[in-house]
Amino acid sequence: MKSTKKTPEFKALELKLNENTISPHVIYFKEHSVREHTNDKPSGRTLFIVNIPPYADEKGLMNAFSAAGTVQSVIFSTKPNSTSTETNLNTFLKKPQKPSFKVCYLVFKKVSELDKALKLTKLCPMNSNGHEIKLGMKKWIDEYNNSIETPKAMKERIEAFMKNYDKKSEEVEKQEKALEQEDSEGWVTVTKKGKVQSFARSEKVENKIMAKEEKNKKRKELKNFYTFQIRESKMKHIVALRQKFEEDKKKIAQIKQSRRFKPF
Amino acid sequence: MVKRAIKNSGLSGGESNIINENGKRLNDLDNKEGIKRIKTKSLYRQPTANELNRLQETENLFNSNLFRLQIEEILQEVKIKDKTVNRIKEWFSDFKTHLLSIPEDETEYDLSEKSFAKQLNVKLPISKEHNKTKVMFKFYKFTDVEIVGSYPLGCSINSKLIVDLQIAVPAETYTKNDSINYKYHKKRAAYIAYIASYLTQTDIIEELKYSFLNGCETKPSIDIKPSGKLGNHLAMRLNLVCDAEAYKLHRFSPTRNNLRESWLYSTENQENVSEIGPPTPYYNSSVMCDLTASYNQDFLKEILMNSENLKQAVVLLKIWIKQHDLQVSGYVISMLIAYLVQSKRINNIMSSYQIVRNVWIALKSSEWDSKGISLNKDQKTPSIEEFHQHFPIVFVDKTGYYNICWQMCKGTYCALKRESALAIEILDNGKINGFIPLFMTPATDLLQFDNILRFDSFPEVKENVLSRVPKQTRMNYGLDHLSLVTDTLYNLISKGLSNRVDLIQEIVEANFSWPVKTTLEKAKKEGYKENLMFGFILNENSMNIVDRGPPANRPEAEEFREFWGDKSELRRFQDGSITEACVWQEGPVLPQILQYLLLQKYGVPAARLRHVGGELAALDAEGEPGPRTRAVLAAFDGLRAQLRELGQLPLDVTAVHGISPVFSYCEPFPAAAGRGLRRGDVTLLADGGAYTPVNRAVLELTYSGKWPGDLEAFRCLKAAFHLQIAERLKKQYSLPTQAYDSHVDVLKNGLVFRLQIAHPKEITLLRRQVEGGVVKFKESAESVELERETVALPRLRGALHGLQRRHPGFGATARLLRRWLASHLLAPHFAPELCALLAAAATQRAGGARAGAERAALLRALRLLADTDWPRDVLLLDLGDGLAEEEMADIERRLRAQSPRPSMCVWAAGADAGAGPPGAVLRRARGLARAALQHVRAGGDVLEVFVPSLRGYDALVRLRARGWRRGGAGAAEAADGEGFIPVVEFDPVQKYLDELRSAYDDFAVFFYDEYGGDVIAVLWKPDIDEPREFQTLNANALMPVTINGETKYKVNIEAILEDFRILGEGLVIEVSQPTE
Repeated sequence: MKSTKKTPEFKALELKLNENTISPHVIYFKEHSVREHTNDKPSGRTLFIVNIPPYADEKGLMNAFSAAGTVQSVIFSTKPNSTSTETNLNTFLKKPQKPSFKVCYLVFKKVSELDKALKLTKLCPMNSNGHEIKLGMKKWIDEYNNSIETPKAMKERIEAFMKNYDKKSEEVEKQEKALEQEDSEGWVTVTKKGKVQSFARSEKVENKIMAKEEKNKKRKELKNFYTFQIRESKMKHIVALRQKFEEDKKKIAQIKQSRRFKPF
Repeated sequence: MVKRAIKNSGLSGGESNIINENGKRLNDLDNKEGIKRIKTKSLYRQPTANELNRLQETENLFNSNLFRLQIEEILQEVKIKDKTVNRIKEWFSDFKTHLLSIPEDETEYDLSEKSFAKQLNVKLPISKEHNKTKVMFKFYKFTDVEIVGSYPLGCSINSKLIVDLQIAVPAETYTKNDSINYKYHKKRAAYIAYIASYLTQTDIIEELKYSFLNGCETKPSIDIKPSGKLGNHLAMRLNLVCDAEAYKLHRFSPTRNNLRESWLYSTENQENVSEIGPPTPYYNSSVMCDLTASYNQDFLKEILMNSENLKQAVVLLKIWIKQHDLQVSGYVISMLIAYLVQSKRINNIMSSYQIVRNVWIALKSSEWDSKGISLNKDQKTPSIEEFHQHFPIVFVDKTGYYNICWQMCKGTYCALKRESALAIEILDNGKINGFIPLFMTPATDLLQFDNILRFDSFPEVKENVLSRVPKQTRMNYGLDHLSLVTDTLYNLISKGLSNRVDLIQEIVEANFSWPVKTTLEKAKKEGYKENLMFGFILNENSMNIVDRGPPANRPEAEEFREFWGDKSELRRFQDGSITEACVWQEGPVLPQILQYLLLQKYGVPAARLRHVGGELAALDAEGEPGPRTRAVLAAFDGLRAQLRELGQLPLDVTAVHGISPVFSYCEPFPAAAGRGLRRGDVTLLADGGAYTPVNRAVLELTYSGKWPGDLEAFRCLKAAFHLQIAERLKKQYSLPTQAYDSHVDVLKNGLVFRLQIAHPKEITLLRRQVEGGVVKFKESAESVELERETVALPRLRGALHGLQRRHPGFGATARLLRRWLASHLLAPHFAPELCALLAAAATQRAGGARAGAERAALLRALRLLADTDWPRDVLLLDLGDGLAEEEMADIERRLRAQSPRPSMCVWAAGADAGAGPPGAVLRRARGLARAALQHVRAGGDVLEVFVPSLRGYDALVRLRARGWRRGGAGAAEAADGEGFIPVVEFDPVQKYLDELRSAYDDFAVFFYDEYGGDVIAVLWKPDIDEPREFQTLNANALMPVTINGETKYKVNIEAILEDFRILGEGLVIEVSQPTE
């Protein structure tokens, strides 16, 4: 029931790579409507598209919807509603983009253009208006050649990144310092670097403390002292043997099941 | 009194009375029992004495619990069913009544006339050569027929069971003179024919055939297939023995002659010539075998009859022998057990496991070929030395005259000894479950031997040999030509190959039985194939090209010259000695020696010999892995030294580890030096080119606490280090370098090395997660990957490199396995490490791998792949032999507890081999391995198992064949590339595959042969055709279709196929869907 209700919202059209494409993928789109609109996906002007083929690029999609009007921006994403597109700015290593089916937010310049787009009956091929998506050998050769960088350029890039990083960590430190000051109600936050030392809040430290407690408890215990303890340890030995026996029996049963006892 | 009596009766009547009267009580009791039962099930119940005994016993008397349980299971499995036992009893009593009703016959027959056979209406089971023996035969009725051998002793196995029946021929049948010139044998044959003729008259027998006892052509027996259901389970063999009183045993001492030369060599009857020839121990034994049978049988009975554990041991040993395809009879094994009991080395109080173990130890340290053993303690009998002069293997029976092992070839004994030693090794190695390899896995000659020598048209070879053996030898063997040829060839080969092989074993195929109404000659023509092969297990000397003989001035030199003929020449060696020597050509030496010797000694042409074993060497050599790997290792060693001495770095380089397969000799196509074009310090790519792989290595730097605690900053700093290392390498050693964020490329000796800094902190940073303000460390896909590259792989490569040092055949095995997987388009799914570890496991299990035995090594690896129960088993490899048993058990437990469990669980050198291939791929690989083994077993060419089949795939993507294929050796482009890093690791097909996988993983699986394939095979996932729900999250590749007026969604296969073409622009020629 749900799905039948849902599908009409989406409009399905074929998206061709170029004029010669014989069996194109079908893309589905509708107006992007969520409760909270972000700045890059403004309400009323954003088209939400799913099932974008792996090789499609921004320019290609602009071409595809060129009949509706001018496209202001194209945002690709692997999952709908994911907001984190800026994280890339902070990373040093750029992850190679792996082609996969995507979703896309297409932002038009005007609201009317969106309406027009929703009424389209045919999309232009992606390779038009002088644009051609680089694929196959050409793409890989480009990728290879672009990966080679002169030492100088690399050095500059590293320096720039480190500068940025130093600045940031300085800021963080400053913030922490600020936390150490008494706030308006007289509270002081204890941090790692302040005058009042605290332990690091990590799993390792917690485990260590727990282990220490355990150890202390054990040290106070007497072992092999009372008769019942000796009896118990003997029993434990037998239990261990039995357990092994049971385990082995299980193994045998397993082997038996797979009929591996017929030697010939 | 009365009261008491009542009370008593109440008590003695037991609780039953009370229970009957009182329902409540009944319930109570039941409850109590219920509680008790629960208690007995718990682990903490009080142990009973019985249980304690058993637990303790297992610890002491058996290898392990598991071993004991397995032994119990297998004994149960091979036990003869009660039903069958009853049927045998019934059948035998019928049979006995029938046989004993045989009428007395007073007529005397002349056996040289045909009338006898005619009258009997069955043929005599001996060859025409016996016609020159003239004897008169009279049938004296026997007194009894009995069941002998393993069946009545209770140590028989239910598979292919043969129950031995025995008739003792009365002594009067034979005259004093009958011992010579096969008269005895002829009369025996006549007796057999007489009985056979009588047996044809009963309906409890379905089929009656003659066969040779232990392949001895002069000693036939009757094979009986009982009628009815019994015949499906077993066969009966009726054998004739002789009353012990017939002859004095010393007439058949090994030194005596009983077969006259005149008889063997002339067709004329010359019985009156009374010259005595050389000793004929072989002939003598064939008579003595009958004379001593009852005596030894009684002796065996006495020892085994009431000793359950001894019997179990015999059964276990018989299973072991059968599985390892050793040509040793159960009789010899029983006698050996008897011998060990007699010499007090084992007894019935021992557990069967202990007995078997002791037998193996005894066999391992035995020297039956030089210090034989005897069951007889009498001094008057011939000495052991006397036996040794005439038999290769000596094991004298209870009478002291008869050598039980008279037919055993030395090769068989050596194999028995070797297998025993291996068995002990397996038992002592607590790390493996020894039971399976010892008792459950059948060995086949193709897997067992490194090399095998076969003869095309064996009869011809046999004739060749027969015509050239010395007279004395021929006399000894008399009419048993097969044994003669086997022993002669064995002696020649073992002398010729002396120190090159660990084992030579003859494999005789001569099972023959024929209907009683046909003559032997006719039956032989119709379908008797005897065959002889020799299996070899090579050692490290097998590839030596020079055989050094004794110094020229020593008397032994003459012998050496005589043996080797023209091949022997005087040579001066580097150490100054001048000796006789034979020099062979480079390459596999074994075939050369065999060809030469067989031609020279017995005139067997080379075309008649077939050498099985080294066929794959040429395939392996395609990528020149030997010299190229050595070049890489040499360059790497140089680079390592340079890196360590690198100056002006903030942190010094402390260690460099190679992680590419090439560093453990596992790369089928290692990088070759001096290829590629150039510009700048690096070559830019214009349009593809030859594929040049890099050799990857990780660097470790001196410790420093100053690495940043932020992942990205850490990586940035690492990149800075890469940059600096590149710079310093260039300045200090003028090596061409190129730095990247994640690695440095260095050109050394024309080979490209890709260096990458490894630091444990990076792994820690990747694991770091903050949960609720608490820092936690959790494995992520990235951290696992990095850890495997920088920690596990260096260790693994090191360990495998060590393995290659110890077993020079390992590398070839790994490379061939990889090639095999690749040829079936499966290699992309098997990590190189997994492949190498499989080869390593196969190598270790076979006790090593020798160069020149690639075929057997590959087949062993395939068997491992096919036979291991991957969903259940864990393969633990100990490459360094440094782990305690408990540690291994611990690791095993941990691996078993993994979830999700990888499809193949292989662990070695502190690292597991990662996730295995997808289940379907593994199933296919195992199926292919099984098929390959079957193909080879059926006599197919081993190279054919590398031919892939493209059937069964849903789509095929044909690629443009270009120089970038690995293994396509590619034309070496302008070798002036010295000084510039060529285009490396540029494999468009790999890139294409990566893209396909990342985009279409949900819909299809891709297969490709990375060593020279020009096709990618595609298999859709099984659910591809099913209609799907449309969801925003999962609308990939769906298209609307209208089914019954309703809109449904299906995967757009056509569009995906078109995508394949689009993504592989410039690489793909066509995408086709094979139609079936």
